[in-house]
Amino acid sequence: MPEHSMPAQRQEQRVEEFVAAFQALRAEVQKIIVGHDDVINHVLTGLFAGGHVLLEGVPGLGKTLLIKTLSESLDLSFSRIQFTPDLMPGDIIGTNIIVEDAEGRKHFQFQRGPIFAHILLSDEVNRATPKTQSALLEGMQEGSVTVSGVSHPLPSPFFVLATQNPIEMEGTYPLPEAQLDRFIFKLRVTYPALEELVEIINRTTQVREAQVGRVMTGPQVIGFRQLIREVPIAAHVRDLVAYIVLASHPQWDRSPEVARRFVRYGSSPRGAQALVLGAKVRALAEGRYNVSVDDIRAMALPALRHRVILNFEGEAEGIDADRLIEQLVESAEGLISTGKEVFLR
Amino acid sequence: MSDSSVLHRLVERVTRQIRLRRMEYYGLRGLFVGALVALPPLVVQEYLGAPSALGLSGSAVLLGAIAGAVSGLVLRLPRPEAARLADRGFALQDRVATTLEWAERPDRTPLVDALVADTVARVRQLDGRRVIPRLYPREAKFIPVPLALGLALSLAPAIPLPAGGLPNFSASTDEEEESKPQERGGKLESDERPRATKPEPIQRADLQERTFTPRSGAGGPSQPGDLAAIFKDTSLGSRSPDFSSFLKRGDERIRMLEQLDRLPDLQRDFTQSQYKMVFQRSKALRGGLRPDQVSPEKLRELLNEMERLGRKGGGGWGGDVSEGMEMLEQGQTDKAMEAMERALSKMRSMEEQGREGKGLRGGRESDRRGQRGGDRSAGRGGPGDEGDFPEGEGLAPGRGKSGSPKGDATQRLRANPFDVGVEGEARSGRKEGFDTNLLGRGANTPSRLQYMGVMGQYRKMMEEAIAREQVPRDFQSQVKEYFQALEER
Repeated sequence: MPEHSMPAQRQEQRVEEFVAAFQALRAEVQKIIVGHDDVINHVLTGLFAGGHVLLEGVPGLGKTLLIKTLSESLDLSFSRIQFTPDLMPGDIIGTNIIVEDAEGRKHFQFQRGPIFAHILLSDEVNRATPKTQSALLEGMQEGSVTVSGVSHPLPSPFFVLATQNPIEMEGTYPLPEAQLDRFIFKLRVTYPALEELVEIINRTTQVREAQVGRVMTGPQVIGFRQLIREVPIAAHVRDLVAYIVLASHPQWDRSPEVARRFVRYGSSPRGAQALVLGAKVRALAEGRYNVSVDDIRAMALPALRHRVILNFEGEAEGIDADRLIEQLVESAEGLISTGKEVFLR
Repeated sequence: MSDSSVLHRLVERVTRQIRLRRMEYYGLRGLFVGALVALPPLVVQEYLGAPSALGLSGSAVLLGAIAGAVSGLVLRLPRPEAARLADRGFALQDRVATTLEWAERPDRTPLVDALVADTVARVRQLDGRRVIPRLYPREAKFIPVPLALGLALSLAPAIPLPAGGLPNFSASTDEEEESKPQERGGKLESDERPRATKPEPIQRADLQERTFTPRSGAGGPSQPGDLAAIFKDTSLGSRSPDFSSFLKRGDERIRMLEQLDRLPDLQRDFTQSQYKMVFQRSKALRGGLRPDQVSPEKLRELLNEMERLGRKGGGGWGGDVSEGMEMLEQGQTDKAMEAMERALSKMRSMEEQGREGKGLRGGRESDRRGQRGGDRSAGRGGPGDEGDFPEGEGLAPGRGKSGSPKGDATQRLRANPFDVGVEGEARSGRKEGFDTNLLGRGANTPSRLQYMGVMGQYRKMMEEAIAREQVPRDFQSQVKEYFQALEER
């Protein structure tokens, strides 16, 4: 097979480059961030899948530090916006100001806001009003912002990392579903374990400070994003994704009982896209050239937990979205094998 | 792509394993069915003859197993499914299925070449072990049962078949029976074979020698287990049983036994008072249901019972019962329930009056009644002192016997344990509603019944309002918690 061996070798080389870059980036972040291996993996997965990531956790767990470290590891521009109730959309996007040229003529000139960066940290995004939050919508989806009828493209790659605090809800504005849906993943940052906490103390209370190097450039990220989309997915794996997303809809006639009882709105098609793209990144990061069912199972929680809206009964009963999604995945796998002969299940 | 031939060979190998396992699986199922089919010929081997029966049974077992195995062999097995099972069996993480699907596609990406090379390399390193596990059907563990039964039937003597017809219960003697010619059955072709011993003639001496002395009539003491107690209130109680008429023409007892609703309940505690029995039946009837959910037939039966007790005991609740029956006929179950409650209240008053006469002095009940009687100006034991107004009195102003303008509190509102002890029962299955009969803060007060009813209504209204999305999402949990606080146990 000489005609196929060369392209195959070249592809293998591309994949090896990606695996090496992924591991190098993770290692740089782990120089600063202790633990949170899953969160780091999922943040990097979101970066290479071309989406935006929402991190949720109580204060002090290192969410902002993780994002700052990631931005330092990438040779990309970085902006940080601290969301507050009095923040205005113009403070994010930018505004037209009057400038005077050398000849004394005045004209409007667009002054770019902090959204014009490769990596945007939206810290405590739920503290701003919905109007301000919605200023991010167009940029996150279209990669451009429009001011006074003029569209301004955002730099590529454009990657929004937002944080929010799940318990301090006083004076906050929970993100609307439309905006939540723009995030490819929602990650839960949990409290560190004992060994991790000891390591955090060691790292942060001594003189020595770790230096983070820039290991990846913007064009590299874009190239890897292209590579991700080439990963093949088998029909039965793709069907499983469709079944999972449909099973989250209580209106679907084959949805499980748990969805009918506790779900108001199921996942949008963006959930299926996020699931497949995340699974592709995971497969490639493990040096695999195809998506497996295990990848889908692993990415179901971060890709769907913010897309399944519980109804009143679900919220009042304190249903955990993660547990619900696990049951949806089990149900979808059962649906695929239903009716099949015993050896095929 | 010649490399993919390795993958095809793997899939074919797995396909053969699947087919083999299917043959075992469906063969066992067929064996079970065949073993079941083999039993009837062995049972009727007296007719068929032992060799024929054994041949038929053996053929059934063999055919069942073969048919099952063949059906398992020819079952359809799509290639992608076999590839999936190969992936699963060898822990290849869907590589084979993906490769086989994408290798021939025109829109294959450059990465597919790397996928093919990787999958082929991994498949070449695989060993030749069987990856499809052996599965046993559920019927497999029961296979020994029909097989053992068949073996026992084939080794044991042939089972004599019944000659047909019912035994003769007529009054003819055994001698007559003996003298009758054997007409039934005809001549069998297996007369030469050893036949089972002739069954003993039916021994009827016990029946004939038994003396049926007339039992004591109605009102006589009945012994435990004496079935005459069932008929003691009827004209049949003094009759002796005649089994000839019993079987030929039918007997009144049989007809009575078929009418279960007319039979007295022998397990009922007859030491209970009428009121208690009726109250328990009414409690069982309500069972936490709303008036419109109560069964009208059962309510009618209860009212009939109360009416019968009223006629028998001379109670003053006949009017209420009649009114309840009328309401029931008009389909107003709630009004009928109210009338039944009134009649029940009067029945209880009568019961308490009787208990007061018989009860020991110094008891709680008599103390309470003594205090109440002391408060009143009317003398004790006088007519109308039963605590509830006679029918038609006390409802209009100025007609009651109380000195107070509003009259005394009615019996129903007193803290009678029978009144407040109405508990609901959880329904089986999925709980879509809520049991409102919970012990809340007001459980010890006479107003508990009203509280529970109102609480249930308000809770239902809350659920409906929430369902209509009128309550903002942030406040839904607060509303829920509020109602939960009201139901605190």
